[in-house]
Amino acid sequence: MISVTKLCKQYNSSYALKDVSLTVAKGTILGLLGPNGAGKTTLVSILNGLVPYQQGEITVFGLGLDNNLKEIRSRSAFIPQSFAFYEKLTVMENLQFFAAIQQISGVKLHQSLEKAITTNRLQSILNQRANTLSGGQKQRLNIGIGLLNDPELLYLDEPTAGVDPELRHTILDSIIDLKEEGKTIIYTSHYMQEIEQICDEAAIIDQGQIISHTPLDTLLQQGDSAASLESVYLSLTARGKR
Amino acid sequence: MLLPMLRKECTLILRDKHSLAALFIMPFCFILIMSMALKDTMSSERALLNYSVVDLDDSAESKTLQRFMASSKLLAKVDPSEQDTNHLAIQISKGFGEKLLEIEQETPLIQLRVAPDVKQEMVHIFRAKLTADIMTLRLLRVQEEIAPLLPSATPLPDASDFEKEQLLDVQYTSRQSSEQPSATQQSVPSWIVFGMFFIIIPMSTIFIGERKQNTLMRLASMNVSTTTLFAGKVLPYIFINQLQVLLMITAGVFVVPLLGGDPLTPGHSFSALILVSLALSIAAIGTSMCIATIASTVEQATTIGGLLNILFGAIGGVMVPKTYMPHAMQTFSNVSPMSWGLEGFLDIFLRGYGVDEVIPEITALCCFGISLLLLAAFIFNRHTAVE
Repeated sequence: MISVTKLCKQYNSSYALKDVSLTVAKGTILGLLGPNGAGKTTLVSILNGLVPYQQGEITVFGLGLDNNLKEIRSRSAFIPQSFAFYEKLTVMENLQFFAAIQQISGVKLHQSLEKAITTNRLQSILNQRANTLSGGQKQRLNIGIGLLNDPELLYLDEPTAGVDPELRHTILDSIIDLKEEGKTIIYTSHYMQEIEQICDEAAIIDQGQIISHTPLDTLLQQGDSAASLESVYLSLTARGKR
Repeated sequence: MLLPMLRKECTLILRDKHSLAALFIMPFCFILIMSMALKDTMSSERALLNYSVVDLDDSAESKTLQRFMASSKLLAKVDPSEQDTNHLAIQISKGFGEKLLEIEQETPLIQLRVAPDVKQEMVHIFRAKLTADIMTLRLLRVQEEIAPLLPSATPLPDASDFEKEQLLDVQYTSRQSSEQPSATQQSVPSWIVFGMFFIIIPMSTIFIGERKQNTLMRLASMNVSTTTLFAGKVLPYIFINQLQVLLMITAGVFVVPLLGGDPLTPGHSFSALILVSLALSIAAIGTSMCIATIASTVEQATTIGGLLNILFGAIGGVMVPKTYMPHAMQTFSNVSPMSWGLEGFLDIFLRGYGVDEVIPEITALCCFGISLLLLAAFIFNRHTAVE
């Protein structure tokens, strides 16, 4: 599904990503872990064609990123951490706008709206302006917009940041449902528990390099008998020693 | 893809009450207030100066002088006790009538006192009028003295007759003979131009909000190109600018007269009006997009935008008409795009010009606006690397 080989990204003289290689199979949920500034967002932005890179090869859906960006984008969705929609539009207007932007129309529009609304429990707030929603409702709308084009590949950038435990649980359940539909998900988060709960694989990125990318079970076996992902993460990124 | 962008942008603007007030209500009020405040400044019916007279001579000549002065529409005689409204005071010295024909005077025939707020040119106008009246008075005295020697001579006309005589025919360039430029004719173009540049505030506010919230990034990830994104911004604001022009011309034509002001006559070339209006819109939008891409925060954009608007207005002759500026300042005012737009509108409204005459202004405004739009697109692409 995704293949990244020797990817390098430099900002001025410092490397944001250095020789990053990564493969993600179809239907996998990959947890992308790393401290702030490690390069997670840069990697996701490059995979969406939003940030240029200097070296390396990237293919998504078996297509070269540089020459097939439009098609790749039409089959994937990027859900940013911030509420990337219009506060002065209603929930329905936001959904309709982002659907129209992606040229979704006719029966497909009806189906896409229906799915985004029901999956994210937006029925009761459809006519409310986005600026009147609670944080949790906004996050549900944010995710709902990402599902409009029925993407095969989904990039979720810390979708549970700042939400209450109940909503976090709901969001994680929705992601598991999406996996069951066969979607591939790249999930960045600071919450190790979430990664343990929903991901098949975890990639740990630190100082622009992938220092570990294995199935979650294998990663957990790297620690002692009572290993948690957090302890493995801390030992790999040497955060525990700092 | 463009249609939903346009619809979204229009909805956002319509739901922003503060922006609507800045775009429509503020310039509308300016037009009403300024047209009424400056109502009489261009009227020949209004007295420019109030003066009082203290006549110590009380002779036939001093009374005739006062009659001559009273014949002028530019001057209004007030009682000497009305200190507040009294711009000038003249004192006719004792012996004025007797000494009228004396070449060398020991003391001046007239004493003139001027209030400190009277402009120098007004004093010059008043002195010229007073001197002319005294000269006429002298001529009348000479005529009286030589009349018995020349029984068949034609009597000299009374000075007050000069006002009635058709010595001069005044016509304003490119206007019909009876048409006279009004304050509305001057103020409406100024506030149209000023109001149109106020789109800087809503445009940059919405754009920076989209950038901060990563909505622009999301749109880019949905294959929205920079061209579509910019077109989605430019087109609705062109429409809004045209609505502003329509509203303000309507105010000038219909609302100002209801309040007792002079009505606006919107010139004779509708096509020239549309072209100048569109060109000005492109210049205003280019400026707005440039500020929106350069500024990091909404606060920065509104501060820079507001300052730039006021500076452009002050330099460009919106706040102080160019004709009141010294020559060097008039030349300098040409650096402001508001000056080009204002000249374009004045060409149409005031001078009655058509498309051919406003082409220089249209070209300058379009070049300015398009250059800034390209610069904004370049900066935007550098910052976000959107495909």
